[in-house]
Amino acid sequence: MLEYSFSKPNSSRSPSLVTEDLRSFISKIYTVYSTNSASFMGLSSIGTASDGMQLCIFDLRRGQHEGQELDKILYFFPADLPFSTQLSVIGLSEGLITFTRIFSPEAACEVIEAERHSHVFYEAEPDIWMVMIVEKSKDSEAIWRIDALREVLKEIHSLFVMFHGSIRALLEREPGGGLTRAHLYPFIMDYLRDFLVGKKLQLPSFRDCLMERRSVQMLTVGREAAIEVQTLVRILESSAGNLPCFSLILFQDLLVSTTLSPEDTINLYKYAVLRLTPLALSSGAKSWSYLRKGNSSSHVSIGSTLLSTGSVSEQFYGSHDASPAGDNRYHVTRPLQHDKWFKGKDGFLITDIWGGDIGSLNVTTPTVWLHQTEERMYLCAYQYKSLTIILLIPLSSILNGDQGVSILKQQLLENASLKILKVEEKLSKGWGGENAYHVSGYRYLLVDGNRDISRASPPTKVTTLSKESLLALNRLREEVDAEKSRAKWDNPGREKDLEVCIRAKNNAWAVARITGGKELYMVLEKANETLLYASDAVEKFSNRYCSGTFSLD
Amino acid sequence: MSGKASSSQASIGGLGSGSVSHVFIQYPPLRCNIPGSRGFYYDDGNKLLLSPTSNQVFSWKTAPFSPNAAPNIDSITEGPICSIRFSLDEKLIAVQRSNTSIQFFHRETGETFTHRCKSESESILGFFWTDCPSCDIVVVKTSGLDLYAYDHALKSLALVETKKMTVSWYVYTHESRLVLLASGMQCKTFHGFQLSSVGIIRLPKFEMVMAKPEANSKPVLASEDVYIVTVYGRIYCLQVDRVAMVLHSYRFYRDAIIQQGSLPIYSHKVAVNSRAPISAPLPVLFRGFPRSDSFTSRPGTKESESLEASDSNDNEAIIYGDGWTFLVPDLICDIANKRLWKIHLDLEAISASSSEVPSVLEFLQRRKLEANKAKQLCLAITRTMILERRPINMVAKAMDVLVTSYALSLKTGSYFKGIKTERTPSSVPNVSGPGQGEDVNTGRTDGLGKSVQQESASRVNSVSVGRSSNYSSETEDSSSFEPLKISSNDAQFDSGKVDTGARSSATGNPLNASVSEQQESQLTSPAISPDEMYRFVFAPAEEEMIGEPSYLVSIILEFFRSANLEKVKVNPNLYVLTVQLLARSEQYAELGLFVINKIIEPSKEVALQLLESGRQNFQIRKLGSDMLRQVSLHQDYVLLLVQDGYYLEALRYARKHKVTTIRPSLFLEAAMTSNDSQHLAAVLRFFSDFIPGFHSTSDFSTYYHILNEMNSSSVVA
Repeated sequence: MLEYSFSKPNSSRSPSLVTEDLRSFISKIYTVYSTNSASFMGLSSIGTASDGMQLCIFDLRRGQHEGQELDKILYFFPADLPFSTQLSVIGLSEGLITFTRIFSPEAACEVIEAERHSHVFYEAEPDIWMVMIVEKSKDSEAIWRIDALREVLKEIHSLFVMFHGSIRALLEREPGGGLTRAHLYPFIMDYLRDFLVGKKLQLPSFRDCLMERRSVQMLTVGREAAIEVQTLVRILESSAGNLPCFSLILFQDLLVSTTLSPEDTINLYKYAVLRLTPLALSSGAKSWSYLRKGNSSSHVSIGSTLLSTGSVSEQFYGSHDASPAGDNRYHVTRPLQHDKWFKGKDGFLITDIWGGDIGSLNVTTPTVWLHQTEERMYLCAYQYKSLTIILLIPLSSILNGDQGVSILKQQLLENASLKILKVEEKLSKGWGGENAYHVSGYRYLLVDGNRDISRASPPTKVTTLSKESLLALNRLREEVDAEKSRAKWDNPGREKDLEVCIRAKNNAWAVARITGGKELYMVLEKANETLLYASDAVEKFSNRYCSGTFSLD
Repeated sequence: MSGKASSSQASIGGLGSGSVSHVFIQYPPLRCNIPGSRGFYYDDGNKLLLSPTSNQVFSWKTAPFSPNAAPNIDSITEGPICSIRFSLDEKLIAVQRSNTSIQFFHRETGETFTHRCKSESESILGFFWTDCPSCDIVVVKTSGLDLYAYDHALKSLALVETKKMTVSWYVYTHESRLVLLASGMQCKTFHGFQLSSVGIIRLPKFEMVMAKPEANSKPVLASEDVYIVTVYGRIYCLQVDRVAMVLHSYRFYRDAIIQQGSLPIYSHKVAVNSRAPISAPLPVLFRGFPRSDSFTSRPGTKESESLEASDSNDNEAIIYGDGWTFLVPDLICDIANKRLWKIHLDLEAISASSSEVPSVLEFLQRRKLEANKAKQLCLAITRTMILERRPINMVAKAMDVLVTSYALSLKTGSYFKGIKTERTPSSVPNVSGPGQGEDVNTGRTDGLGKSVQQESASRVNSVSVGRSSNYSSETEDSSSFEPLKISSNDAQFDSGKVDTGARSSATGNPLNASVSEQQESQLTSPAISPDEMYRFVFAPAEEEMIGEPSYLVSIILEFFRSANLEKVKVNPNLYVLTVQLLARSEQYAELGLFVINKIIEPSKEVALQLLESGRQNFQIRKLGSDMLRQVSLHQDYVLLLVQDGYYLEALRYARKHKVTTIRPSLFLEAAMTSNDSQHLAAVLRFFSDFIPGFHSTSDFSTYYHILNEMNSSSVVA
């Protein structure tokens, strides 16, 4: 596939070449081992039931004695798999982790490429591991980028923590593990439902290589509008009085302003895009009516057969259905539940996910847990036209709970409505529409790793690329991922500049340039034969859209 | 609009017993007691106070005002004097002897000539000198206007133009350059001409409103009841309708005269009780402008007078008398005691009396006379407002006022002019231009204005005791009712947009009084530049507000907003301060957005501050280094890269951007510390290739040696 490969002379190997080789050597050994053992232990048969994907979470500190093995399983998908199979999958993963830790205590196994499966590892919290196993089917679409899959694991975990706190904390609260399982199960099920296409789970594939999951897409605004936005931010935060609070402002599905730390911003942004923005609401709001009040059995959507559990494990994972029937052992909120957010008459978004009755508008205010302050916050979301405003106020600073929140909302409306109107108008005026960030002739992805921001060609434009080009870029990104992680180990805290251009079979150029923590990926299908031409095109793009960041030569 | 609140507040304060007066007159006055004086005349064209005796004319300059001013003495021949005015170049003295003749005296040569009416049927009502290009003097007669040019050679007047019409009486002020000619049975039909240095503008004929007391009687409008008023370059006319006890106001445009509104005047009794001395600052009252209330708070004035009087401790104990006449723009002539007082505005008192800070600032920003004082006050007020943590929207308004005023002063050039004049007489902090022209604003200034009372020269003498008291009563009344009245009327006064029809069509070219004054007056402006905002407001505020800088950032943001709207450039130091504040409160996310969205504009100072503040936050540091590159500070950027250990990138960048000023040893040392012999070799090679003669430098030999050692040791290892 690669016709031509080019890399900068200065991206030379670093002194720790030896460890590198050792690591790859070990990984090779385990590839063999895993392939064998997988088939030996019957792993190969799992794929049929779950469309080729398994996802498990387990705790290495639990179930270390014979007979207690089930203890370590915190989550398994598909849940209707026999426990013996679940245990064998987890046992294999555990074995690999333990073994690789001998050589690399800080970072154990990241991925295992077996003949028919890829095992993606992610240590979400100390000793709590998430493993995703995807089947390499003959289906030519099933080509992944491992890092993209790991991003999914990361996303699941950080969103979970945002709503429920850390898994370890849950385990400590109830050492039996039932509480944790009861939380994890519906959460991940709700999350995975977003990946359902028809009856198939569609995980990020090579077609998504011009996307960066764990990053924020921002709206570009002019100075005047930016000043207005920041003034609004100040008004918002001052309407909470002297309480320390945070805000997030989105226009459509793009971030306009945040006062949160990058980590929290990514999570809340993601949640907003998934459930709160006008676009996210519009899908749900249509089907909702007051007639359905009280009857919140939400287990009706399409993927139910696939995502529902068999009766075997229902007891084990706790009820996945958070219906207020009262027969649950645990009261579990399902923040990712679909079609549960609505826009109230006052412009605030409401949901009964956290309890209460949506019909009487008497609902419990949602709360989230912030990574930065390690504090639980009330989440108030307000929407005006395309503008979504999220305000986070510490639980500790509002004494009388929901009542206090509604007073605060009132204040917010009084102080800020005018400004909100003005800002929305300004942003709408400056908004270039869905294809605002399309650059004709280019299909690109721009990632600012320092700020966790990305921008890419609009998806509709990316689909015009041929499969060949996408595969080439996917491959290139894998290379870059590997290079980056190698550099991270060799030289922690140092950024590496990197430039790679490859030519795909269809004569398209796939380009990657990395400098100072910023990454630019690009596919040029209509570029000329010469590398010079492609390089020129990148240079032009860099000068025009990235203030010359990537034009170092 | 915004002036409303403060004006009502101020006037209430003014009436209160313990309040601070807004206006004061400074002791000592100018004493102009001349034996044998035959009265006083005020020549508003030259701002001279004139006092003729039987054969001499004493003249005092009133601008700039000095109590010690010595009179100039000119000889004239004996005879009756109806009116007296100096020519605008002050070379000629014109004395109206009767209703048929005016006598001219040349001050240097002593030559005289007399101008007489040609026809028996007409008589001279008065005259005034003009700076109109085509003529020098205008004689108002019952049959119309005669425009004459003075012929230096022939020492006589040459008729330039005649405007025929019946005239009963007229009013003129030099400040407005406007002459209004009354005609008709009731004297309420007016013709108007503006004779300015630009030329002559004929205003459309218009009628003033008069109420009828009974069916058959028709009251006649008297010249004492009509005033031309200049408010910030706009010309208004005020008319007292004695029958209806209403004061009407009109605004003049080139092609229209629009009635602005009317206010009732109340009974004389109250006036008697309050005994306030005032002749004509009526406009002030009705305007409701903050500037105006300074004039309206007459009880205050009186208070200060009596204080001074008791201080002075001589036979001047009773200063106020019925003989007080108010002159343009800020003088009081006490005819009885032969004294001239200058009215001062007490800016401190005015600004202290109102809590409506934006309006006070707006008022202060319009001060031209005591520009420096006004400016200092503005700075202090703004600073205090921030330190007191007033609500952000109020501070935002204040910022708007200050920035708008600055932007305007840049446009008109008064800001720089002011600076220039401030510098020349270094010993005098309060610069007041000799012109003392309040109204140098171009016509576009709108809103809260200072009103200046007008009085024509011919009138000073004729103002009788009775008349003055009449007026005082009326005005005093209306002043006390002012707050109520304003609310109903100020919309019309204040904003040109509210009115309909003729008004809006006319707003395009309002009649402008200040055309020629602009050249005359050398003025300073109280406008505050962004630089001064930083040095005298934000920086001190930052020093005093330790801890929780969030409020200050909000204020600065408002300032940015105002500045952005007015396209005024912000001092880079303020950006630096903003970075510091945000970093100090660890609002890194916001700081990032400020920089990315260019709310904080890139500059070297900001970049360095970002690097400094970025010690705690990697992302911020990154923004700093990106900014260095962005503003093309190549050398700093290369140095930074080397410092951070990115010496190869630095070399590459230096080569691309031709940075040659950085010592090779820096790069070599960095390469050496990285303990990578390949890199060190590469760097050595780089310099050998690109710097001629590098081989012979000590750097080369040192590092070549080190490189060899590194290589040999690695071989051994």
